[in-house]
Amino acid sequence: MNSPVKGWRDRVFDAAVFFFVCVFVVFVLILIVSDVFYINKKAVVTVLTSRFIIHALWMSIWTSFSTTFISLLFAVPVGYALSRLRFPGRILADAIVDLPIVFPPLVVGLTLLVFFSQTSIGRWIQDDLGLEFVFQPKGIVLCQFVAAASLAIRSSNTAFNDVSRRYENVALTLGCTRLGSFWRVSLPLARNGIIAGGILTWARAFGLFGPLMIFVGSFRGRTEVLSTTIFLEQSVGNLEVALAVALLLIFVALLAITIIRLVGGSALVKR
Amino acid sequence: MIRTEKISFRIGTFHLLNISIEVAAGQYFVLLGPPGSGKSIFLECLCGLRKVDSGKIFIDGRDATFLEPRARNIGYVPQDYALFPHLTVQENIAFGLRVSKYTNKDIIKRTGETAELLGIEHLLSRSVNGLSGGETQRVALARAIIIQPKVLLLDEPVCALDEVTRQEICSQLFFLQRRLGVTVIHVSHNLEEAFSVADRAAILHEGILQQIGSLDELLRKPHSEFVARFMRCENIFSGQVIGPGARPKQTRVKVGNAEINVIGKYNGKLKLVIRPEDVLIYPYAGFCGKGENEICVKLIRLRNYGEYIRMELDGPFSLIAHLTGAVYSELKIEPGADLVAALRPQNIHVLPA
Repeated sequence: MNSPVKGWRDRVFDAAVFFFVCVFVVFVLILIVSDVFYINKKAVVTVLTSRFIIHALWMSIWTSFSTTFISLLFAVPVGYALSRLRFPGRILADAIVDLPIVFPPLVVGLTLLVFFSQTSIGRWIQDDLGLEFVFQPKGIVLCQFVAAASLAIRSSNTAFNDVSRRYENVALTLGCTRLGSFWRVSLPLARNGIIAGGILTWARAFGLFGPLMIFVGSFRGRTEVLSTTIFLEQSVGNLEVALAVALLLIFVALLAITIIRLVGGSALVKR
Repeated sequence: MIRTEKISFRIGTFHLLNISIEVAAGQYFVLLGPPGSGKSIFLECLCGLRKVDSGKIFIDGRDATFLEPRARNIGYVPQDYALFPHLTVQENIAFGLRVSKYTNKDIIKRTGETAELLGIEHLLSRSVNGLSGGETQRVALARAIIIQPKVLLLDEPVCALDEVTRQEICSQLFFLQRRLGVTVIHVSHNLEEAFSVADRAAILHEGILQQIGSLDELLRKPHSEFVARFMRCENIFSGQVIGPGARPKQTRVKVGNAEINVIGKYNGKLKLVIRPEDVLIYPYAGFCGKGENEICVKLIRLRNYGEYIRMELDGPFSLIAHLTGAVYSELKIEPGADLVAALRPQNIHVLPA
């Protein structure tokens, strides 16, 4: 990349910001490496051979990706509507979208539990419609969705805000309907922001722990995910196994984020 | 082809008020006005990108006031061109055809033809990032004309370009408009642009249409002081009628310490407008006032603008004159020189005070 001619002040500035990059990255790496040195071979074998831990891994993967998919299904229209439509209560709706981000995680679990067990609508959904969430695998997705969807919506909203309306206007004069201009122009231009929101949502959903313990519990072979496995293992004194599961979680997360970045990156829109 | 009847539109404190224009089929119409006068908003109203508060818009005889932009059969080139950054030049140009579900064969053929018409066929496979200003403008134009619109709306299409490219693109726009026979409404704040392309023009100021007509009418017969000043007429004088003129159908007007004959019958106070290039300058030969409307002046300052020499003159009232380089060099004058300025009655336009 071509960069402007730099003076010594510019080099000092570059060095200063690079210093912070190094401190943060090295700090995270040291934490992970210290975990690696703490675990032993037996713990690794236990993790890789345990039917329940493999099941928890699979549960973590499919629930987090399902949550991401559902979140993006909401994030795109909600983000677009908040960016483009003017309706009464828009500012309030905009604030409510961000609310789950500031909820303490436990509150999400408690709120869902109260809703499905203590309100008539919640009981109707569970009992009459037969859509059971409490202590069910479906509940994991719901819990993750409530806790993480706001991140996808906010990213999508910011991405649509960054797309100039002039592009849509020109598309309208070239024969597009609003849907057409959205599909052919706004959505491709907002794609990077939406993908970034998807990554954030997935990361939050994949590592979610607190609300799951309250809303779906951690039943081996049923509602256990990697984050709850770590809790269960360390609570019975298997610290090495807990850390080995944590490293597995970190490895899968790193792999997934890298793949998403590469796939998303190859389709990046050059602006 | 396109007609508006008293269209009004309000946005915040700005008000576009009762704009009525009519542009005939195949005409190149330029809407002039200073920045912030509402030209772009007016164009967006014509496009259907803004819903007018009142009034009617007719395109090709059909009431288009409430038609969606896509149903108006217009081509639109916005001020920043708004090329889609995620598409190549070819995809940008073909956008309208793709939306209308043309076959790939037709799309390739028509895109090639349009690109050739505008001399941009070598750019087709390129990304729109990194195009020069002139190339970007041509691609935006190609994208607008490929759908064969009845009316082409151009919002300051060359304002971001350098002088040479601007002249080149203006010539191309005019050639293209004549070749395609499309009706064009071109919005600009630049007078040179209007002169290089316009069949007719109008001037908009603070949301109000000031005057509509040929460029010659706008130049020679401005309806208001604003129009006169916008058309770069610097000589606008307040005068008082003092009686009939030297000839029939003339009025004698006192301006400063001088008396000037103007064509027509007037009373009371008025304003006289005379274009700087219509002020005739003679060397002072010991007397002045012999000919009609001749006044003695002194050259205060002069400046060479390349195409003309601008002279600031002082006499019974301050006067600006523009001379060609050839005339100026024949006069052989310097600041401080005494001169005679002749203001021919046929060159004086009268405005109400």
